[in-house]
Amino acid sequence: MSDPHFLGYPRANGSAGVRNHLLVLSVAGLTGPAARRVAQALPGARLVTMPYGGGLIGADHALHMRALTGLACNPNVGAVLLIGSDPPKLRTLAQAIEAHGTPVVSVCLDDCEHDSLSLSDRAIRAGAQLHRDLSRQRRVPAALSSLFIGLECGRSDPSSGIVANPLIGKLTDAVVGHGGSAVFGETMEWLGAEHLLARRAATPQVAAAVRQAVLRRERLASSQGVDLLGNNPGPTNIAAGLSTIEEKSLGAVAKSGNAPIAGVLGYAEAPGASGLYAMDAPAYSPESLTGFVAAGAQLLLFSTGVGNSYVSLLAPTIKLSANPVATQRLREQLDYDASAVFRGACTLDDAAHELLLLLLDIASGSLTWGEVLGEGEEVVSRIGEAL
Amino acid sequence: MTDNTNTTIEATARALVLHHDDNVAIALCALPAGSQVQPRAAAAQTCITLREPIALCHKFALRDIAAGEVVVKYGESIGRATCAIAAGAHVHIHNLASTRGI
Repeated sequence: MSDPHFLGYPRANGSAGVRNHLLVLSVAGLTGPAARRVAQALPGARLVTMPYGGGLIGADHALHMRALTGLACNPNVGAVLLIGSDPPKLRTLAQAIEAHGTPVVSVCLDDCEHDSLSLSDRAIRAGAQLHRDLSRQRRVPAALSSLFIGLECGRSDPSSGIVANPLIGKLTDAVVGHGGSAVFGETMEWLGAEHLLARRAATPQVAAAVRQAVLRRERLASSQGVDLLGNNPGPTNIAAGLSTIEEKSLGAVAKSGNAPIAGVLGYAEAPGASGLYAMDAPAYSPESLTGFVAAGAQLLLFSTGVGNSYVSLLAPTIKLSANPVATQRLREQLDYDASAVFRGACTLDDAAHELLLLLLDIASGSLTWGEVLGEGEEVVSRIGEAL
Repeated sequence: MTDNTNTTIEATARALVLHHDDNVAIALCALPAGSQVQPRAAAAQTCITLREPIALCHKFALRDIAAGEVVVKYGESIGRATCAIAAGAHVHIHNLASTRGI
């Protein structure tokens, strides 16, 4: 395919949304229930609520604000209805979202005489206006260079490392090769494969950052007395045939293809330029996917072995497996069945071509099973204690 | 450099060797004990008789592996054998351990 493109919503910063969501974003635990009421009154709106928000300090506070800003500024978000209880925090977030070029309306509990019903009324009316405005926008052709994909695996089995992850790797090479971007995370799943990643680092500094990120988490596990066996690989991985973290990692890193690694990002950190990035982040899918989406990824490729229903709320998440048993069982979960490659009935290159066509189709508006069934959520990581 | 992105699986294969340095193969279907398996690989493999049933996607030894020897898949270490493993035996957490973490 010489000039692959999709139909997306053009954004102020030159990017393109593959969706045009109204995001109802509650940034404080206090306003979560009211925000749920607001989102229920606005069919189609996407609701993200933070269960915490007060008393966060230091690196945790920085991560919290970066992640919330990043989710609001994701290209798939057409407009933001920001709900919270703390006026300075709402102002800071609204200013960052406005500066990015995304329409935003803030509704603060303090401005509603601390009455959540009054807040709900105000927010529903404001959200209705935003939603109607969004519906007037139309998709236009967008180049693959405006696409940023996130790469994940969950409930992996050995078929993931042999077929599904190398398949994602080929898509990664295609997107990055066309000037787009990609990010993989799950730092614990570089453990045992970090020498392969370091060899692909764009600079010695990036290679050192990859090794350092792995070492830090390996030491964290050791210092807490955590036996990786049973944790990562977990019980499901082990039952499916994965024996050690090294074995799992060597399969997992195949998602990143063969492109040079341009940098190591912090959790929810947006890359400064296009290319392939590693994100130093927790391996658990809900936290990991939200890290990618907050960094700006519009579309996620998620391989599984035995099955995994979890998807991002804001970024369409393409599920694939090559396990010949799981693909028969999970027809309303898996968007792409790669078992033909596992059975030897199809080459990896032919499957990669099919998967790229599916990716462009989903980027242009076709729904994933996760979207159809409403399996999505966003979960922001935490680091430490709050005051 | 491990490059498993060009693995080709043949339709008739019942087991797969990912790299010519590997000392384990992966079952592409559930294989009963006593099966005579000729895993497909970059290098020619001799026929292996399975000592026990091997479940889908699980590993078996391609040759005798000594206690403490590195177990190799994708051409890379995936840990060490915690006891002697005979050719055709199941290789998993009962006889293979990570060298990382604690």
